[in-house]
Amino acid sequence: MNPGPTPVEFDNPDLDHDDKTEVDRPWIVLVWNDPINLMSYVSFVFQKLFGYSAERANKLMLDVHHKGRAVVSSGTREKAELDVFRLHEYGLWATMQKDN
Amino acid sequence: MTRGERPAAFERSGDQIQIHLEEEERELIANLASQFRSALAEDTSPDLRRLYPTAYPNDADKDSEYASLVHDDLLRSRLESVEIVQATVQANSIDPNELAAWMGLFSGLRLLLGTRLDVSEDDEFDPDAPDAPTRALLAWLGLLLEESVEIATDYLPPHAHQ
Repeated sequence: MNPGPTPVEFDNPDLDHDDKTEVDRPWIVLVWNDPINLMSYVSFVFQKLFGYSAERANKLMLDVHHKGRAVVSSGTREKAELDVFRLHEYGLWATMQKDN
Repeated sequence: MTRGERPAAFERSGDQIQIHLEEEERELIANLASQFRSALAEDTSPDLRRLYPTAYPNDADKDSEYASLVHDDLLRSRLESVEIVQATVQANSIDPNELAAWMGLFSGLRLLLGTRLDVSEDDEFDPDAPDAPTRALLAWLGLLLEESVEIATDYLPPHAHQ
């Protein structure tokens, strides 16, 4: 399994203003496909929590749906944990792990 | 249980959201809100596992630390949603924060019911199956959630990342 972000989503500096080197972002937050949450709701949550555009949120949601998971954010352990918590508050199946 | 030709349940009207629901639908939502509150009180029930997911699947120690850190906050925010829905279930209109609470209830209930039903993506609806009423309820809540998402999207601020 490759937990790393895909180039299309994360290597574009316009899309990710805090894009830094790997050293600065050792934790990644993954959202996993589940049979209960609605696609429109998942996309809405990505927009609401992360300020992503509808296009970016939809693409991440479709990655979750078709590939089983997507990396939705990254950062320090504290930031990742807060993101996971907020995703859990919205009922999404989110986990975090070291991006190695 | 579709809503057929009827108007969407939620309609934006300036700063407020008009609610178009039948009396029986409002009673059902109020009833489900109470049931959700009772279910949340059964803290160790496996039916609640989707409401308290694992954060660190590969690290049991970190995960139990995380779980004890967030459990009460997750519970509190769900109970708040229940209270707001109960207080506004008969209202003609609600504000965006109240809509967020309604969405929280719809979403939480769907996780609970979906876990109880053990739903999968390939499930076909069988009207003769014993769990058909619960599945119909799940679909109805999905429709309400879908309609609230549409309105709530309208209230999102312009996205930060162009």
